[in-house]
Amino acid sequence: MEIKYTIQGLLIYAAIGAYVLAFVTTLLRRAKAGHVLYVFGFIIAVLAFGYRWYDVRHTPLQNLFEVFLCLGMICYPASLFCRRILRVGGRCADMLIGAIVLFPAGFIFNAQPQQLPPALQSWLFVPHVAVYMLSYIFMAKATFQAISQLVGKAQTTDEKLLPPEQATYRMICASFPLLTLGLVLGSWWGKLAWGDYWGWDPKELWSLASWLVYVGYFHFRYMFGKKHARINSTWAIAGMAAILITLLWANLSRLFSGLHSYAT
Amino acid sequence: MGIKETSKKKFRRAMMWSALTLIILLIFLSIYGAFLGAERTQNLVNSLPLSVYWSAWVLVLITALAIFRRLVRVTRLLLIHAGCVFILAGSMWASDAGHKLQKQLFGIDKIRTGQMVIYEGHTENHVLLDQSQPPKELPFSVHLKDFRLEHYKPGSILVYMPDDTTRRIPVETGSEHNLGGEVGKVKIVRTFERFRLVMEENQREAIDAPDGELMPALEVIIERPDGSQLKRYVFEPSQGYMYQDNFQISYLRMVSDYISELQIIENNKVVAEKNIEVNHPLHFGGYHFYQHSYDAEAGQYTVLEVTSDTGLALVYGGYLMLCVGVFWHLWLRHIFTGIKLKKLRNKPPNKLGG
Repeated sequence: MEIKYTIQGLLIYAAIGAYVLAFVTTLLRRAKAGHVLYVFGFIIAVLAFGYRWYDVRHTPLQNLFEVFLCLGMICYPASLFCRRILRVGGRCADMLIGAIVLFPAGFIFNAQPQQLPPALQSWLFVPHVAVYMLSYIFMAKATFQAISQLVGKAQTTDEKLLPPEQATYRMICASFPLLTLGLVLGSWWGKLAWGDYWGWDPKELWSLASWLVYVGYFHFRYMFGKKHARINSTWAIAGMAAILITLLWANLSRLFSGLHSYAT
Repeated sequence: MGIKETSKKKFRRAMMWSALTLIILLIFLSIYGAFLGAERTQNLVNSLPLSVYWSAWVLVLITALAIFRRLVRVTRLLLIHAGCVFILAGSMWASDAGHKLQKQLFGIDKIRTGQMVIYEGHTENHVLLDQSQPPKELPFSVHLKDFRLEHYKPGSILVYMPDDTTRRIPVETGSEHNLGGEVGKVKIVRTFERFRLVMEENQREAIDAPDGELMPALEVIIERPDGSQLKRYVFEPSQGYMYQDNFQISYLRMVSDYISELQIIENNKVVAEKNIEVNHPLHFGGYHFYQHSYDAEAGQYTVLEVTSDTGLALVYGGYLMLCVGVFWHLWLRHIFTGIKLKKLRNKPPNKLGG
């Protein structure tokens, strides 16, 4: 762990602070103040992302630092969209997700600017990564809803919001097309860059495993509906576990060396 | 419910459980493959037992399309499941076994994948296969007009300090950098693309020879803490210059692009031409040619990855169907329903009578 005594680092820490304060304030039932702090944190996160973009002169989605910076930025708009359009609550959890994803960007991952290697100089680079990041945030929300269902959290007091099991399903429905598109774009890009649309690379296999868990979720839910809600929730949590492994372990561990190792 | 209906229901249930079992098996296979590594996983998935598994997938998908009428009647569900069939079928057709079958059934003898090493100004039609097989010939030739590397500017100097830290300094001619009490200062005097030492008036002189061998280098002046100055040359790529085991300087340039200028020659005529780079392959004669590697020492030759395009159209078609089907089923359907409901709610009620 290291503290980044740079403008970039200070922006990230300010965003983390705002998100944590927003979370605590909302927990203390001061929802409006919490929301204002959440928006403030989002603005700082946008500034941090924009600063990085200016610094590296390309879309900052190349390594784990930049990816987690992006995740921290899109938390708020994703949360707003889920609440207003999809009727999925958990705004408090979203604030926590924002702080959690910015933490490794602020303290762990190397922020040294890097130039794009030839393999990443493709128009598919941004859509492939961006689509995955959005789907990961949605799946993280689905996981929180699934955990709420498993621990037996009482149905939300807001009538407009869905109960946890349905909210999990709706979030996975929102995210799964993005996960599919990310996988397909990655395969297409692999064909253009490396000559094969499927190289059996560890990262590709973990991405496939993540995708298949949700395929299994849909088929199981089709078979049994909400009858086995706890198993449905377990599927969703298993999917998130596979995503975390894909995002972190597959990139960081020497156990999984492969074509995606530039992403560290 | 009649016996026939009960049997039908039981069979459908069994199909669903088969599908779920196959999905779970593939999850575990993917995870196992991630630990095995790419090469061993590729051998595993092309083995006979796994060929049976893939065939089971195709069989279950096709059977599902036959017995679950909804999968055929509902276009978006048809796209999703048929798309998966196409992807699997395309991948199987593109595999080693698929190519062998192609040769047996249709007499089409294509190289599945291999590499070509071509020197600048030379023409080649031999493709190197894996170690156990002799090279094969393409029905046309590939001529390499030129190969070149492009680098990001400026390059960097990496200074490995006595305290095990590293400092990265952009290369700017004339710039001076203070590296601290133990090391001193470093001034970047000149950059070279083709470094050569020549004798001029009985003295060795470093020049950038336009016709020389590619040898990127920097001329630096190290000013030690005691005030003494040393002129040294740092080369790339190499271990860099080591000064009295106290600190090390390396010259680093990041490659921004690898470019091979290729021509396809068939019947002594140039029939295709392209500058290929990473992400921009050449497609000709049922093959794709990719920039794979190059001569890191002197930049004299390029290494191309050659792959057959067999099955690719099926796979890409399957991808498109899968994506369209998934987006339609999980997004668009609900968006359209929502729009319809909104229109119905906003529609004024019908007025009856005169």
